Amino acid sequence: MNEIYALLVVLAIAAAGLAGGQMSFGRIALAEVIPYAAAILFLAGFCWRIMRWAWAPVPFHIPVTCGQQKSFRWIRAAKIDNPSTQWGVLARMAAEILLFRSLFRNSRAQIGGGWLILSESGALWLSALAFHWALLLILLRHLRLFLEPVPAFVNALERLDSFFQLGAPPLYLSDVVVIAALGYLLIRRFRDPAVRFISLFTDYFGLFLLLAISVTGVLMRYFTRIDVLNVKELALGLAAMRPQAPQGLGPIFFAHLLLVCALASYLPFSKLMHMGGIFLSPTRNLANNSRSRRHINPWNHPVKTHTYPEWEKEFREKLQSAGIPVEIAEGAGDAGNARTN
Amino acid sequence: MSVSGAVSEIVAERWVERTLAAYPAEILPFLSGEHDRFRNPVGQVIQESLTTLARELLGAMDNRATAPAIDALVRMRAVQDFSPSAALRFIFDLRPVIAEVCGEVTPQLESRIDELALMAFDRYLACREQIASLREKELRVRALSPAR
Amino acid sequence: MPETLVQIEQKAPRGDWRDPHVEFRKGSICYSAAAKNLGALSLPNPRAWQPMDADWKLPPDWKRIVLDGMKERLKKYRSFRLFMDICVRCGACADKCHFYLGSADPKNMPVVRAELMRSIYRRYFTLTGRLFGSLAGGRELTEDVIKEWFYYFYQCTECRRCSVFCPYGIDTAEITMMGRELLNLIGCNTNWVLEPAANCFRTGNHLGIQPHGFKDSIDFAAEEASEITGLDIEVPINRKGAEVLFVMPSADYFGTPHYYTLLGYLMLFREIGLDYTVSAYASEGGNFGLFSSHEMMKRLNAKIYDEARRLRVKWILGGECGHMWRVLHQYMDTMNGPADFLEVPVSPITGTVFENARSTRAVHICEFTADLIHHGTLKLDPRRNDHWIATYHDSCNPARAMGLLEEPRTILKSVCRNFHEMPENTIREQTFCCGSGAGLGTDENLEMRLRGGFPRANAVKYVKEKHGVNLLTCICAIDKATLPTLLEYWVPGVEVAGVHELLGNALVMTGEKERVADLRGELFAPEAHSVGSASEASHA
Repeated sequence: MNEIYALLVVLAIAAAGLAGGQMSFGRIALAEVIPYAAAILFLAGFCWRIMRWAWAPVPFHIPVTCGQQKSFRWIRAAKIDNPSTQWGVLARMAAEILLFRSLFRNSRAQIGGGWLILSESGALWLSALAFHWALLLILLRHLRLFLEPVPAFVNALERLDSFFQLGAPPLYLSDVVVIAALGYLLIRRFRDPAVRFISLFTDYFGLFLLLAISVTGVLMRYFTRIDVLNVKELALGLAAMRPQAPQGLGPIFFAHLLLVCALASYLPFSKLMHMGGIFLSPTRNLANNSRSRRHINPWNHPVKTHTYPEWEKEFREKLQSAGIPVEIAEGAGDAGNARTN
Repeated sequence: MSVSGAVSEIVAERWVERTLAAYPAEILPFLSGEHDRFRNPVGQVIQESLTTLARELLGAMDNRATAPAIDALVRMRAVQDFSPSAALRFIFDLRPVIAEVCGEVTPQLESRIDELALMAFDRYLACREQIASLREKELRVRALSPAR
Repeated sequence: MPETLVQIEQKAPRGDWRDPHVEFRKGSICYSAAAKNLGALSLPNPRAWQPMDADWKLPPDWKRIVLDGMKERLKKYRSFRLFMDICVRCGACADKCHFYLGSADPKNMPVVRAELMRSIYRRYFTLTGRLFGSLAGGRELTEDVIKEWFYYFYQCTECRRCSVFCPYGIDTAEITMMGRELLNLIGCNTNWVLEPAANCFRTGNHLGIQPHGFKDSIDFAAEEASEITGLDIEVPINRKGAEVLFVMPSADYFGTPHYYTLLGYLMLFREIGLDYTVSAYASEGGNFGLFSSHEMMKRLNAKIYDEARRLRVKWILGGECGHMWRVLHQYMDTMNGPADFLEVPVSPITGTVFENARSTRAVHICEFTADLIHHGTLKLDPRRNDHWIATYHDSCNPARAMGLLEEPRTILKSVCRNFHEMPENTIREQTFCCGSGAGLGTDENLEMRLRGGFPRANAVKYVKEKHGVNLLTCICAIDKATLPTLLEYWVPGVEVAGVHELLGNALVMTGEKERVADLRGELFAPEAHSVGSASEASHA
């Protein structure tokens, strides 16, 4: 049922956008009010979540090591998978964030009939990676709407993205990739019973939402042929805090916009925050140097231990008869109590 | 009796399918689809043992091949969360599978299936007894501990 | 018409994991902790109960205790809060858990194990969960959930294999540790964890061996080592002013096959003339506190530094033990340090400064020995291990919490001539757990252990069939205690040994008498014996 609810909610958002786009009041709300609300929710929520993680201390030094430690010069250490320096950690995090290193461990590529065949888990890595990179590219491309003049790198990215010059307007590869990857991730959630078993509303909702955003975006660009200048006028107005919705944007644009706003406001309250959380993951962002540098626990409470004097007192006779040296002079006072450090 | 290897392969395939069906649906595609024997030991033991057994059942019925195959499979099912009947059910799944593939279960096959079933009973009991004796052995070692 | 068998639908889909009901069956659970052990450790809610009982006799305000405990831990551990928040349920971890692979229980997928806790977190600690409940993936905290936690958090060996594959490094061990801490708050603990902890607290070691018993065991081993080598081997106990405090898991002096490893240590120390002492107070390197709570871990671990300070040693050498090294490597310095009363460890034989232990001042015996071997300071006759065809099982904690991978291999390859690795995806950081770690290694839980140990045994079986392997070496006391049972069931004919046992076999000691048998009393392979005895035992 989770998947149905998720789909219904996404469809409802899209429908609200479509309907709102037909009414002048709706257009004002959608183009001039809701984007600000979403931006505020996004920024405030995102910061709040990050702060809350950052405020929680890391009491113990718990990296998961995935290779040889640095011990002797004559044993080759895995500098990235088991980093002992900050540079190593940086490399490990970069591999994790840019290449999804750990997820890649799942996959075994096989050469079959001259083709590189990725296993199911390899496909997960590939589609996850493709999705995230394509999404980044798309976000960067959207900068052209908010910046005047358009930065050179945005133009360069666009040229790169439309490298094949198929159709008019030229087809962006990232559009194809993002929809294909999202489609695969969604189908995988439906088809693999193990993944389906663990999937929650939020898992389907995120995918449906992103898919709806991509599809409405594609519809605008390739089918309804929206006038980008109109969009840019609105975007620049929003950026300059002088929002004014121009005419002729078309209902699909409003659906797209509302879906994006929904994503932005939902993101801080959902698992999609993993984009921020990964930087803070203590099993990945710490160097494996807990024996060479002391890690400090800010709340290192004192605990009740069984001290040596207490122990010797209890076993004194047995110690003496076994000939084990004892410490405390005969008839000394009571042994110490709680350890305080 | 000479039944071609192709038939035994089909029998094995369907037999594996039926046997796997006793596992939770969530893990099924993994058990049947992951072919790395170290990633998927349970699926591989089922696959290998049943393939061997199907081949022998429709072939030479060589004890040197059937005994280890039965042992590997029963050994595993004896520790998994199955009642004894569920653990050994796979043997009896053979009848419908063979009937489906070959049309009928000949008296010879009937008796061979019975033979496999009896072997499986023996192995199952032996495994459960071994588990009990291993437990007992661990307990004895524990009892030596001066703390008790 | 042929008898159409009554097709009972066997397929048992779990359907929805949010149904917390579990069935406790003898043979695949650990029993509850005895009240006296809770009392000895001043833990809450001591009582007589068993997991099979319908009434667990929880304290009346158990729900508040658990939720308050969660709240406190969410504030104190970034790992906990983060791992509650960022899982995307991609499923990459699913087939990495040995219990999932062996039991085929979908709730053993690491992601689901964590979701058992996350669903409560979402319901009580997130806005969406409080507003939308189950639609946001929340669950009510009920007694059934507590029972389910008990079942599944004592069905995780904290081996961290899943964490290696997680794109965010989510560590199920952290979640299991939190789950067990919360269960501890309401008195739901297992005896196999708490009895060793209580013993260790009082007497100094898990087995509850008192000082005179400790001395007897150590003396016995020293005598046996003397007998084997013909040399005079003595082990100082609680000796002040020694250079090194040697700490080992208590199983080494009271369990088999651990004991042979102890003989190996003693012979090594005698041969290099190490100035060391063992302690009857810190007579346990292992730490079952790790399996119950961070606080208990600290309480038990404190003895090691305290004793090192009292005995005025320069540094600490630690024996072969997996979870002991998790604590020594990742927790000890933080919890009970700084070890400023010790010195940076330097090998008295080779002069090597153990830079990687500069702060903790605790060196792993495999590091120490590998360094000796690398410098050629030991005379070794690997032919004395020719009766073994060995493979090496990376114990979870040294592999995934330290990266101690090559040091033991360096030793093994110098002390035996027949060594074969298991397949790549079952060793090093991808090593499969023995299935009995984290306090699950008790006999009443044997069936679950056999399930969990199956993937490991399966790889052992492979090298046995391929290379004739008859010995599984490892550097973990829990491995040594539990793998023999597991292998007897899954791969009969393969024995278990510590790395330093093989070292003890191969070590040619100055002035030793002719040795014809290994530390277990088994005769050397024929040609090895003749060569071994012929070799003049002398070195600089």
